[in-house]
Amino acid sequence: MKELEQTKRISIASVLFILIILIGLLTYKRPKYIYELTPQQAVENVVSDNFLISLNNIPTTDAAIIDIRSPFEFQKGHLENAINIQAAEILNEENKIIFDKLKNENTTVVLYGANPNEALAPYMILNQLGYTNLKIATINLIYTQNKLVTQNATLELSEADVNAFIAASLKKAMVKEKPKAKTPSPPKKVIPIKKKKKMPTEGGC
Amino acid sequence: MINRKLAKASSFRYMILACILILLAGGLVLLPKYQQHEGIKPQELLGRAISPERYISTDEVASLIINQDPSYLFIDVRDEESYNKYSLPNAINIPLDKLLDEDFEAYLNQDEYDVVLFSNDHFYANEAWIICNRLDYKNLRVLEGGLNNWFHTIINPTKPTENMAATAFELYSTRKAASMYFGVAYPEQVKKETVPAKKAVVKKTIVPVKKKKKMPTEGGC
Repeated sequence: MKELEQTKRISIASVLFILIILIGLLTYKRPKYIYELTPQQAVENVVSDNFLISLNNIPTTDAAIIDIRSPFEFQKGHLENAINIQAAEILNEENKIIFDKLKNENTTVVLYGANPNEALAPYMILNQLGYTNLKIATINLIYTQNKLVTQNATLELSEADVNAFIAASLKKAMVKEKPKAKTPSPPKKVIPIKKKKKMPTEGGC
Repeated sequence: MINRKLAKASSFRYMILACILILLAGGLVLLPKYQQHEGIKPQELLGRAISPERYISTDEVASLIINQDPSYLFIDVRDEESYNKYSLPNAINIPLDKLLDEDFEAYLNQDEYDVVLFSNDHFYANEAWIICNRLDYKNLRVLEGGLNNWFHTIINPTKPTENMAATAFELYSTRKAASMYFGVAYPEQVKKETVPAKKAVVKKTIVPVKKKKKMPTEGGC
């Protein structure tokens, strides 16, 4: 009798044990995307600035060019041989396949948007996920007369020295405006008005 | 015969079971290392990074500084040299390469203040913003256009031409007033100042008021 009770307990315990393991296995979900770079590595990568590529340096062969603007913008005009993957959809299933394929083939992927800033978010996220073959094209897209024009963009260039500007404005304000020296006005030409000679009043009718 | 052997083995059964479990537990060591996610999900980060919600305009920042709003922190992510040259008033310098230093974490990872990140453009600021957002730091904003835009709109606003709307003129006058606050002088402003300056010199002289002595009331008529 005692033996029987013991086996009962053991069987219950083992069933429970197996159940827990099964539940654990079934509920375990591998996250679809995992960061391969730690934040610190991401900072180092970003500081290095070597992911930027100017218009002339975009390789014409062996590179995939990806337009991250909306399909609408893409239809209006895009770079040659570019594929359109909207920024919001870069992590979709089918796009993941494309990026994985490009990564395995080790082809350079050049991302571009209307300006480099637009391409930054997709780039940084994909890069942190371990796609190291990405670049950002530093170009601005502008429409002139309905034609797409690409320009090289300059990033993070200080355009003006604010302190110098303020100092200059102070100097300018301090200098009292000198009363303009009167330029001798050209002598007025006197046009003698010919007096009409009074005619003796002619008789009316 | 068989029974006896079985009985012998069964007397060890608990030991054997325990050994098996311990061995299985040892197997856990061999499992691949669980890859830990440092930060929020990439999908969520993408959603946040695409929305332009994070941008704050230069006009807003100017009014925040002028009103001395205590709930905002301004963080310059450029290098030290450019920070020393010019930066927003009361800005803190956190160079991009030192973004995740422990000394600066208290500035970025907190709930008390709204943090405005800025650089010359908004490219570096965006980089910093994305990395901080991955770590789920709250209340981060980016100055739209950065210091270049700051210069063109607040420090040196362009005068609207005559054919522009009245709102453009209003905007210009507020921006001009803001630029005066930040130290820019305009010739016409100085002229106005000279006039009250002269008035201020006049010293107040105290004229003691003589109390009238009360006269004994004289009889009336």
